[in-house]
Amino acid sequence: MSGYRRPSGGKVIERGKSITFTFDGKQYFGLAGDTLASALIAGGVSVVGRSFKYHRPRGIVAAGVDEPNALVTVLGDGAREPNIRATEIEIHDGLVCESQNRFPSLDFDMRALNQLGGDALAAGFYYKTFMGPARWPFGGTRTWMAFERQIRRAAGLGRAGTESDTSRYDRVNAHCDTLVVGGGKPGIVQALEAARKRRRVIVCEIDPTLGGYASWSGDPDISAMITQLQAMDNVQILTRTTAWGIYDGNAVAALERVSDHRRDRAPGEARQRMWIIRAGHVALATGAFERPLVFPGNDRPGVMLASAAQRYAAMYGVLPGKRIAIVTNNDSAYTSAIALKARDANVITIIDLRSEVSGGARSIASVAGARLRTGQAVVATAGTGGLDSIQVAPFDHRTRRPTGRSEGISCDCLLMSGGWSPAIHLASHAGGAPRWDDTLKAFLAPEDGRDLSLHGAAAGDFVFGAGLSPAPAPVYEVRAPGKAFVDFQHDVTADDVRLAHREGFHSVEHVKRYTTLGMATDQGKTSSLPGQAILADALGRPLEQVGTTRFRPPFTPVSLGSIAAERFGDLHPERITPIHDWHVKNGARMVAAGHWQRPECYNRWKESVEQAYIREAKTVRRGVGIVDVSTLGKIDIQGPDAAAFLDRVYTNGFARLPVGKSRYGLMLREDGFVFDDGTTWRLAPDRYLMTTTTANAGPVMQHLEYYLNVIWPDIRVHLTSVTDQWAAMAVAGPHSRDVLAAIVIDTDVDNLTLPPMGIVHGRIAEVPVMICRLSFSGERAYEVYCGAHHGAHVWNALIAAGEPWGILPYGLEALGALRIEKGHVTGAEIDGRTTARDLNLDWMLSTKKPFIGSAMMDRLGLVPITRQALVGVVSINGEKFHGGSHIVESANPKKPGPSLGHVTAMCYSPVHDRYIGLALVSSGRARLGARLYATDPVRSASHVPVEIVRHVMVDPSGDRMHG
Amino acid sequence: MIIPCPFCGPRDLAEFTYHGDAARAAARPAHGSTDQEAWDRHVYDRRNPAGSHAEIWQHAGGCRSHLRVVRDTRTHEITETTLYAPEVSQ
Amino acid sequence: MAEPFISTPVMAATAQSPIADALLPGEYGNLAIGAQVALSERFGLAICDVCAWPGLETKTANAIKRATGLAVTKRRDAVGEAAQGFQHAPGRWTVIAEDPSLAERLTRAVSANATVVDLAHGRTCLRIAGEAGTSVLAKLFAIDFAEKAFPVAKGLATSHHAVLAQIQRVDAQTFDLLVFRSYARTFFHALTRASEEFGYRIVPPRAGEPET
Repeated sequence: MSGYRRPSGGKVIERGKSITFTFDGKQYFGLAGDTLASALIAGGVSVVGRSFKYHRPRGIVAAGVDEPNALVTVLGDGAREPNIRATEIEIHDGLVCESQNRFPSLDFDMRALNQLGGDALAAGFYYKTFMGPARWPFGGTRTWMAFERQIRRAAGLGRAGTESDTSRYDRVNAHCDTLVVGGGKPGIVQALEAARKRRRVIVCEIDPTLGGYASWSGDPDISAMITQLQAMDNVQILTRTTAWGIYDGNAVAALERVSDHRRDRAPGEARQRMWIIRAGHVALATGAFERPLVFPGNDRPGVMLASAAQRYAAMYGVLPGKRIAIVTNNDSAYTSAIALKARDANVITIIDLRSEVSGGARSIASVAGARLRTGQAVVATAGTGGLDSIQVAPFDHRTRRPTGRSEGISCDCLLMSGGWSPAIHLASHAGGAPRWDDTLKAFLAPEDGRDLSLHGAAAGDFVFGAGLSPAPAPVYEVRAPGKAFVDFQHDVTADDVRLAHREGFHSVEHVKRYTTLGMATDQGKTSSLPGQAILADALGRPLEQVGTTRFRPPFTPVSLGSIAAERFGDLHPERITPIHDWHVKNGARMVAAGHWQRPECYNRWKESVEQAYIREAKTVRRGVGIVDVSTLGKIDIQGPDAAAFLDRVYTNGFARLPVGKSRYGLMLREDGFVFDDGTTWRLAPDRYLMTTTTANAGPVMQHLEYYLNVIWPDIRVHLTSVTDQWAAMAVAGPHSRDVLAAIVIDTDVDNLTLPPMGIVHGRIAEVPVMICRLSFSGERAYEVYCGAHHGAHVWNALIAAGEPWGILPYGLEALGALRIEKGHVTGAEIDGRTTARDLNLDWMLSTKKPFIGSAMMDRLGLVPITRQALVGVVSINGEKFHGGSHIVESANPKKPGPSLGHVTAMCYSPVHDRYIGLALVSSGRARLGARLYATDPVRSASHVPVEIVRHVMVDPSGDRMHG
Repeated sequence: MIIPCPFCGPRDLAEFTYHGDAARAAARPAHGSTDQEAWDRHVYDRRNPAGSHAEIWQHAGGCRSHLRVVRDTRTHEITETTLYAPEVSQ
Repeated sequence: MAEPFISTPVMAATAQSPIADALLPGEYGNLAIGAQVALSERFGLAICDVCAWPGLETKTANAIKRATGLAVTKRRDAVGEAAQGFQHAPGRWTVIAEDPSLAERLTRAVSANATVVDLAHGRTCLRIAGEAGTSVLAKLFAIDFAEKAFPVAKGLATSHHAVLAQIQRVDAQTFDLLVFRSYARTFFHALTRASEEFGYRIVPPRAGEPET
């Protein structure tokens, strides 16, 4: 293409303000205000990319978001972002871009040889070649496996980066009465009207400036209207902002490109900002997209949409060629012709597919100095690199075929217009099927009763000038030999659509998926209607019966960064206990448990995790240890019916629990399976403190609230989450009482005052504490609760008090090892599929009262003794087995046979001096003493002989904790 | 989707938790019932209407009230929201 | 033996704020036109949840008024000199005050009309003030911060990252945010990140309040 910049003109560019940027390693100059596309056209660059399938050279077709060809990769901050439309990139000093789909370079692409294969890459190529039975040596999936690497390298659009993206992305919520999408004239009219009624208005405009078509077609009123709008204090104008999806309740997602157009960012400034706008009313003034025409060679660089050329000329002072031909099926191209002529373009001819053309159009052609050829069509294009000439022939629009000999016309730019498709994307995102307007030959927005309206061209309200008709002739294709492209971005030709039809794909949705028509990043903005028209021709049905595919969000591609926004990296939500900083300072390896950060173990120098937890667990069994259990869920339960309520939600009784005592409780779900366990403390006759497992704190609260609010509204109980109110630490081990006795004042802690499950109130280092004698480890143990702000203070005091007994902190791993030895269950066993009996907890099922789940827990399938039940497993030969291993009977790792169950948790047991675990094994209790195998064929390839033992592997009589 | 909480006003879907068919909750067998078939129906049978559906939502990310919401399952249009909390006249 | 206790007032000498290390007074972010928001922690406050029994909401509101002087009603939230209160759920109020005996006074005042739970340690109270305050908050919460929708003194419950939070508008440009203590550090970090583009000032604790 021989595009160039005119010596004057260009509404948005700043003459004299030169910008340097790099495209494919080469330096180019543009002007401030240029897009990458306008700067490249001005620089005479015609080939800007290679096509997806055939690697054909491609040029710029459009001037806005509908651009199918000119996709580039933007490099910056070490990250690369592929598939950005050159028509939307505002150039700035230091911008670096690369073209895509070329190997090794844009000018010489080896894969262009794909074209020589001709129809081999036609519709359904992948399905036909790579699926189905293998015929030796190739065929079917075997071919895929042989060629996958090469195909993957050649296929796809662009290449994603591997560096992490350090840019900042923001997310912002906004609320307004009226959201106007599109800052062109119809949008501004809507915004002004709403603003004058004192509504809160937000206007989203894709471009850097308001005005849209009115701006580049030279509407005399537009700049005054813009000034007026900008002066309103109840209007927020978001430029460079694409509303890309509309969801239920008029929630609109919009992406603002905050600083992509600048090299430098202010501190804290985002690269892009995701707006979630909740609007009372949405006014769509999104305009329309001009359609290309489908004729052989229509993808040659130099072939462009007529309106795009008009826009480049008006906005950037750039003309796409020196000899311009126009081919059209409608009157709007005449508007473009006269506009180009007014900017000194040389429009040599207008080729109109229609045999009849209105007087208005004829006179414009003559004013523009263009020779009008009616009833003719472009049947071929020629040129190397760009366009040199076209072939024009007489044309019958009914048969879509040329009817006579062709004539060559020399030109370096061919503008095409296939009519206009209103941009109804947002209106159809959540709504019904678009409806066909046979006058406009276009699909209009569905009417579905939402609080949403369309305006201007988006509503099919086209104005092209006096005497010009908005209706195109219903012909979009010229059937002549050669590849005629429907979908430029996915290289789908008219013949592909017909092939799909011949192979039995008759629904527009099926043809879309089979040919990939409209499935590229532009989502068929330009290609969908011509494609549907070709299908309609093949089916012999009117287009309105063929219908269109549903538009779905996003309207244009959206960066993943903007969707992740504040949810990743250092902004990832974390909850920490009051003792967190102590853990970190004392060498704890922190792990995430849901949102919570918890110490896994406190590694000493060169110590592995396993070495650390074994040491910690030994300390608890032999001396005394301390663990932070502040993450346990805690619920304050108050009210006259508190005891009755707990009797309903727990399987065991709580009404007769004395004040000052706690009890271990078990909850079932309504279906009879185990839900959660924990201890609940009676603090007063009508007040309890319930604890839940860390993971289930939220679900248990919701469970209780549901029954109180929905099922039993008459029960007088109040629930309050007090998880964060209390710091909680467990002091465990034979010397735990000694430590407490040394530091606790205002109460005794001897066995009489504080027996197992007893609760006392006292003080530690001035701080009021509640102490409950509870044991998860099986050792004598106490849980100390204090106000969370005092947690670190009390923890430090306990550590200091425990020094004479060698107190050490222990983490989750040691906690796990201790509970496995003791056979206590956690989430690994309470996995939603286990009953109380499965877990040997049937002793907790009261027979004296009904409770949630009691009616369902004895169903036929939940009682057989063949169910998987909780047992202990011990490695026989000392070998390590793995959590998640299956329990099998076969000694042969190659033929392990059926699974009898799985290992839910394992550890190295300091007490038994070998690897032990808990497992759910079918007929578990009947297998005590059996020798089976823990097999883990996929991950660790281990197959370890194990003995099935009782689940309580340490101190079954409980002497240690009760002493 | 936006759910109009009768206490908090319109809030984003993300603040709400779904609790299923309101009719099902209302038909829960009495506490202590041993009618196995009634329990089976209550726990496992789900209506799945295309159209208007009375359902329970909890405003878990807000006031934590449970709401009875009548929603069209085809369009997500919400025609009614009421609080479950017992409103006793003073 | 010590009596059971229901409230544990924050003791300045032994208490520690979860965000103490992050509260470094100074100005940060984009200061091209100065700091447009001020962030501070209100540490050591008494914070209570008061929950009325059905039908006793008005009596409970009156009891809160008696105990704190706040003009709360079933329909109106209040911001006073020494206390603040707002209804965050039907019949359920958050009351905050500087007086450490708040829980005791409320418990006495509501008697059998409501229950009181001390949350002085369970919540972290942050204050954001300044011109860009609502712009910062709009990044964190899906709440309409326009004064018409969110008038002065009103308080509400919402969530950030699916973690519950409460917000009360203290005046046109000042908001108090109550978040779980365990979540305060992450939240404060998110708050400063969101404030960076506007420039922000971290304000030291007021004289008379505990050092953090």
